[in-house]
Amino acid sequence: METLQYIIRKLITGIPLLLGVTFISFMLMVYFGPDKTYELLGKNATQEQIDEIRHQLGYDQPFFIRYADYLKELVTLDFGHSDSTGEPVSGLLGRTMPISLALIIPGFVLGNLIAIILALTAAYHRGSWVDRLIMGFSVVGMSISFLIVIIAFQILLSSSYGLNLFPVRGWNMSTFGNYLSYVTVPTLATVFVSLGYNTRFYRAVIVEEMTRDHVRTARAFGVPPARLFYKNILKNCMIPIITRVIFSIPLVVISGSLLIESYFGIPGVGKVTFDAITTGDQPVLKAVVGMTAVLFVMAQLVTDILYRAVDPRVTLK
Amino acid sequence: MRSILVVIMAVAIGACGGEGQQATQAAASTTGLKVYRHAMDQAPSTLDPVQASNVYANHVVVNAYDTLFSYKYLARPYALKPNLAVEMPEISDDELTYTIRIKQGVRFIDDPAFPDGKGRELIAEDFIYSIKRQFDPSQLPVGTWFWIERIVGLDAWKEAGSDYSIEVEGFRALDDYTIRIQLKRPYPQLLDTLTTGYSAIVPREAVEYYGKEFASHPVGSGPFKVIEYDTAKILFERNEHYRQEPVDIWYEGYDPETQAYTGVEVIHGRSPPFIDRLEIDFIGEDAARWSSFTKGNEVQYTVLPNEQVDQVLASKNPVTFKPEYAEKYHGYDVVEFGFVFNAFNMDHAEFGYREDPVENHRNKLLRCALIKAWDWPARSESFYFGLAKIYPGIIPPAVPEFDPDMSRDSVTRDVVEARRLLKEGGWTAENLPVFIFGGAAGIKNRLFFEQARSWFKEVGYPMEKMKLKQFATFGDLSKAWRNSELMYVSKGWGLDYPDAENTLQLFYGPNKTPGSNDANYLNPEYDALYEKSSVMRSSPERTRIYREMNQMIVDDCVAHTGLSRTRIFMWHKDVIALPDRQIVGGFFLKYVDLKTEDTIVEQIN
Repeated sequence: METLQYIIRKLITGIPLLLGVTFISFMLMVYFGPDKTYELLGKNATQEQIDEIRHQLGYDQPFFIRYADYLKELVTLDFGHSDSTGEPVSGLLGRTMPISLALIIPGFVLGNLIAIILALTAAYHRGSWVDRLIMGFSVVGMSISFLIVIIAFQILLSSSYGLNLFPVRGWNMSTFGNYLSYVTVPTLATVFVSLGYNTRFYRAVIVEEMTRDHVRTARAFGVPPARLFYKNILKNCMIPIITRVIFSIPLVVISGSLLIESYFGIPGVGKVTFDAITTGDQPVLKAVVGMTAVLFVMAQLVTDILYRAVDPRVTLK
Repeated sequence: MRSILVVIMAVAIGACGGEGQQATQAAASTTGLKVYRHAMDQAPSTLDPVQASNVYANHVVVNAYDTLFSYKYLARPYALKPNLAVEMPEISDDELTYTIRIKQGVRFIDDPAFPDGKGRELIAEDFIYSIKRQFDPSQLPVGTWFWIERIVGLDAWKEAGSDYSIEVEGFRALDDYTIRIQLKRPYPQLLDTLTTGYSAIVPREAVEYYGKEFASHPVGSGPFKVIEYDTAKILFERNEHYRQEPVDIWYEGYDPETQAYTGVEVIHGRSPPFIDRLEIDFIGEDAARWSSFTKGNEVQYTVLPNEQVDQVLASKNPVTFKPEYAEKYHGYDVVEFGFVFNAFNMDHAEFGYREDPVENHRNKLLRCALIKAWDWPARSESFYFGLAKIYPGIIPPAVPEFDPDMSRDSVTRDVVEARRLLKEGGWTAENLPVFIFGGAAGIKNRLFFEQARSWFKEVGYPMEKMKLKQFATFGDLSKAWRNSELMYVSKGWGLDYPDAENTLQLFYGPNKTPGSNDANYLNPEYDALYEKSSVMRSSPERTRIYREMNQMIVDDCVAHTGLSRTRIFMWHKDVIALPDRQIVGGFFLKYVDLKTEDTIVEQIN
């Protein structure tokens, strides 16, 4: 009951947040974003044609009427049609978001799991060569541009200049085998890069936890290292870990990974979002911004509930 | 952990070898399907002919839809031919009335938009409807400028509300198979405009059935039908009902001396399309496109990326491949049907027109000095691997009206002369105006700017007076052009048809911003010549006028111009084709064939 009340309260308090985010982002879109009018003009346009396009796009409507329409779209989840491809926005996102999820989730999960294991190992061997090796690897992962990593993995594993084991481009989930063959190289590239940031972050959290009194006490009582790390350290580190993981999810869902999708020819939501931003496709942009805000409210909610699950001292009040 | 990774890799590699990577080829070999994978460096934003404004959209549109006319597959220079039209049109003596008969029995593809889902016959009224859409603001048309103020009654039809039930006097279907177009004045490029994606013929039922979604759901009568389309690729299937018209390669302009290597002789006497599936991959990243192309079993065509030029070419003039590439790939180089240029905006007082004749003359001297300071060969060497063609004026080498004998003074760098001109105009470091370059955000534009700045600095232009204004997107840049906000406009122009009129209109006064005359060049003499030549068919007299106009642009120092890039097309040797992406890109795709054991035997014999 307490949890339910908390959820309802949080959802209600999320409404002003949604209004704020949508208002500011819509204002930026309208007054500072790319103007789709000029994407839709012919080579030899007249002022009359410019006015006609603005009318067709609804750009000649007062700002607050347009914003009210946006809120209505957000409530009904009907964002109309893309100004570029004419596809219904809901259909467009519905088609591309699952692809992005299927693309990103393996790298996201592996990137976090492996990072936690590496961070525990590094923290356990703090100051030794193992720690320095893992941290050195992390710095390398953080320092190399994601673009370079993608190209390097593509050449190394997919191209005729390298091992030529995987496809360079495409996406096919008709069978698990096909899925694996298309997702492997993007996943490896994602893991390589995310390991750097994640490992460093998690190690810092774990090391800080290791210096706490209760850990020292547990050690003094002779708690075995595995149990100490799992029960006394990792569990107490879960709050920052949960925060980091959960708040990454909305971005994973909505943004996908533009670079991965572009280089591997994967029709995910990242490319759709990028195209919408650069061309000023407002129906798509409105949907993406609105959905991101909603997902962040949800993420905040889930995070709070999980805090309570991992740390009984946390109350949902 | 290591063992887990090894297992994952092993499973993935196993899957890859089994079906993933080889999916396309496996399909081809087990089902006997011929699949050709093409690559483009950008995706079309729409598949609706009414907005087919660029080469990417045209690649799709001219393969999914029919146009009345087309260009011959192999003829260079380009030559028109009837496509859906039975023959070339009957043109009245005054060149104002065109009567076009179209082929009978041509059908749209089956689609739920039609009753019972069966595609109906394409009739003349469909063409009328399709062009009328360009005059209906609710369709967000982009190609209106081809026909605006050209066809009797069409502009008035739009002003009256674009009601499709109202007939247009000068634009009618006389019967199901005959079209009559009446012009207000002769329009020699009319037939060229009827090859473009803008003029592709759509069925009204489909436009109304799909509404906005028609932009991603083509329903045409072209050689292919779209079965899948997303941001990464488009997949076509052969239109099994496409009309049977055996190819006569000699009629198409086949030249055995220069084109025999392509193997296109094997399509002679057969009806296209020859492939079962056409896949066009949209690969913006050069590195990914090249990896996919050289992989062997993915895309089979690419434009040679700039960064691979040194790796692939044995020589640049003439273009030849290194043996390891020549062994695997076909290729040829072609000067683009377009050009890049940088125009001074004559509406801006800094470089443009001034009411005071003395100031006006000073500004002209300033423009001329900056033109003399420009180093085109260095630009070509730095950004186009020295393969670009540099020439004076705005008539590119690709069109027949190009003048190879024109003085090259305007494209020859002369620092001494530039300084002299500045001095003559009384320009000093103190009184030179702040020079703002405009460009889309990106490294290349920054490099363009820095290079030009170094040239201008050499003739005395202070570095701090030259600034770069970057725009986040191309749309923002386009907005600045259209609103005449930039004092200096850097632009590339792809020709819509093989006629220099298409570039000369870039400086025609009435086309000033928001039209295509971004320079806002106003020269009554030039405009009079343009109007005179715009109703003339190709002739020595028209060419003379074109060249005279070209000279005016050079003499008035309106622009740094021009440079046409050389493109090198490459394709796998199992592909039988002469690829092309100029003018109406993609019209060659219906003639693409793939080598099978049968065709190889045929070639040997």
